Amino acid sequence: MLKKLFIVFKKDSLIARRDAMVTYIMVIPLVLALGITLFAPGLNDTSVKLAMLRSDDVEHIEYMEQFARVELFDTLDDLENRVQKRDDTAAIVPSGRSYEIILQGNELETMEDYVVLLNTFYELGATKEETTAQLLTFGRTVPPLKTMLVNVLILMTIMLAGMLIAISIVEEKAENTINAINVTPISQTEFVVGKSLFGGTVAMIGIIGALLITGYLGINWFMIILVGVTSMILSLVVGFLQGLSSEDIMEAAGSVKLMFLPIAGSIAVYEFVSDNWQWTMYWSPFYWAYKANTAILSMTADWGTVLFSTAMVFGLSFAVYLISLPKIRKGLS
Amino acid sequence: MKLLSSYLKEMKIAARGFYFYIEIAMAVILLAILLFAVSETSTGGGKQFVYYDMPQKIAEYLRDRSIDRGEARLADPTHFKLNPAEFEITNEETGETTAYRFNDGKTVVLETVEMIDTSTGELEETVYEVETEEDLLRLSYAEREIGVTIVMDPRGKVSNKYYLQGYETDRLKNLFYILQNESREAVNAKKDRQVVRTLEVTETLNNRQNLVPIFIAYMGSLMGFFIVMAYIFYDKAEGVIRAFAVTPSSIWKYLTSKILVILTTVVVSSSIITIPVMGGQPNYLLFYVFLVVTTFALASLGLLVASFFENISKAFGVMYGIMISLMIPGFSYYLPSFDPLWIRFFPSYPLLQGFKEIMLNGDAGYVLIYSLVFLAGGLALFLLADVRFKKTLTV
Repeated sequence: MLKKLFIVFKKDSLIARRDAMVTYIMVIPLVLALGITLFAPGLNDTSVKLAMLRSDDVEHIEYMEQFARVELFDTLDDLENRVQKRDDTAAIVPSGRSYEIILQGNELETMEDYVVLLNTFYELGATKEETTAQLLTFGRTVPPLKTMLVNVLILMTIMLAGMLIAISIVEEKAENTINAINVTPISQTEFVVGKSLFGGTVAMIGIIGALLITGYLGINWFMIILVGVTSMILSLVVGFLQGLSSEDIMEAAGSVKLMFLPIAGSIAVYEFVSDNWQWTMYWSPFYWAYKANTAILSMTADWGTVLFSTAMVFGLSFAVYLISLPKIRKGLS
Repeated sequence: MKLLSSYLKEMKIAARGFYFYIEIAMAVILLAILLFAVSETSTGGGKQFVYYDMPQKIAEYLRDRSIDRGEARLADPTHFKLNPAEFEITNEETGETTAYRFNDGKTVVLETVEMIDTSTGELEETVYEVETEEDLLRLSYAEREIGVTIVMDPRGKVSNKYYLQGYETDRLKNLFYILQNESREAVNAKKDRQVVRTLEVTETLNNRQNLVPIFIAYMGSLMGFFIVMAYIFYDKAEGVIRAFAVTPSSIWKYLTSKILVILTTVVVSSSIITIPVMGGQPNYLLFYVFLVVTTFALASLGLLVASFFENISKAFGVMYGIMISLMIPGFSYYLPSFDPLWIRFFPSYPLLQGFKEIMLNGDAGYVLIYSLVFLAGGLALFLLADVRFKKTLTV
């Protein structure tokens, strides 16, 4: 049995190498990981942008630079032109004995509040030096936005493995090689598991590489691999199902598009919806995988939570597999 | 005439397959999500844990005063699970580090106060009142949210201890330092006297409407790029493109008919999402012009890319790479303060901003200029694709 699985695994590796599929599944996460590493600092620094006049009081400019990214302009016209650009930039200019705040009019309300507050503190003479506040930190260096992006990358890579299986099956169907399986000593189960093993292994290597590039060295690797492997089961089952049930590449493309919905929905609900509505995504294995990954990447995961989430992913994936088993068998026959 | 018959034939084939209906179903699902799961107002996701290091009665008085002023309202108590944890906390000024280790696990039930914007009534932040400072540390660490201990000394002077995660920017930390320097009354009085001038009278999109440009751009125009490639590879597998060599019809008509099928699908699915959510607010003439030219341009890009590959597996890397890179400007759309110059060179940047302007019924000039840019770019890509297909017929 193992030998036959290995034969399918080896055959897929050879075909995939010819089609550069391995390169895609492995290299795409790595390239995206590099991108996240480069962009994440800029995304995290969402400090308010302020436009000020170069002729303004130096002390005023230096004060504002402590709290905002300041851009200086020679004339009021230049400054107003800057404010009117597409991004959110506010301005503070001298006006009589006081200051005037200039906005374009479509900025976020929080930004207006922030700028008003800054100028208020300046006019009240509030300084860091006379503070009564104490700041204590947990010493974390990875911002939550980066964790979110890396988590999305993990789910995308898992989905990628499923997508490629779907596409390769549709192509095997087009070339009539899939029916040939029935006249070889390899059983349908061995064919399914062998093909999945290949997609799963390559995707896991891509995920591990991406985590190393993005700097998540101190995470619990057993936990992340456990969640990755279990969530891969679902992606692979769905990939098989999409591949076998699609008559042609157009139908497979449509199914792939539909697959984005539960993934995007799971992420959106977990990140942006209040605790009272989290249950709406409990049916999605991607929700549990995303939740577990967030805790693991944030290094706040405990085995109880991870095992529970993994059990949910596995249970839901297994249910999908059982429901779709007759269809997979029919598709292979 | 040949083009029309090609288009009608392609539409008949599309209507026979599942893909066209999947597109429509997807649009209906997205519309349902927008209408039933996304609220028009922001949900105010900010959380803060607070421990009052002062007599209970004073803490209650402070909370009641905020409620009486309309700045806060009580919500149902919230349960939090505290797991065993081990961490270190560093004082930013002294650099002194203290290690903490908690071996027990427990569940705490916290008084929950919702802070609201007095002018709009919208939820700004949810504050959880913690009973001990130890629990505050554990919650702030586990939930990755800001924790504040509000200390009142015997003379009644209040000071704050902020527990931050560590990745906050220096500018934000500086703000925390000065936040409590002045009395709240003095700050509010001075705040009310600030002069704010706006340069334009502009509308803004609400929370729900703000998602429409994203859905239209990514699920419509950008998907045109992917789907046209799938169509071409399907025809390559079936040998349809090769058959064109022996027909009187020209390649450009065949390629145009493919784009027209995509356009029909995108126009129908985008209308399903846009009209019920936006009502009569957008300029629909501009909307359809922009939708058609952007879909045409991206579908032409898809045609050109498809002309270089034999099948979808071989094209997958390039296709996936282009799709992911076109999604990057979405960050700038959602985080307006993140708007570096390089991000504006991605075609999806004006795509998103253009749809946003249309939804706001705003800057028509911007939309028209970029409509011309997309049209010119689309035509150039289409011509290149035509040359490529003529030369190769199959690959």
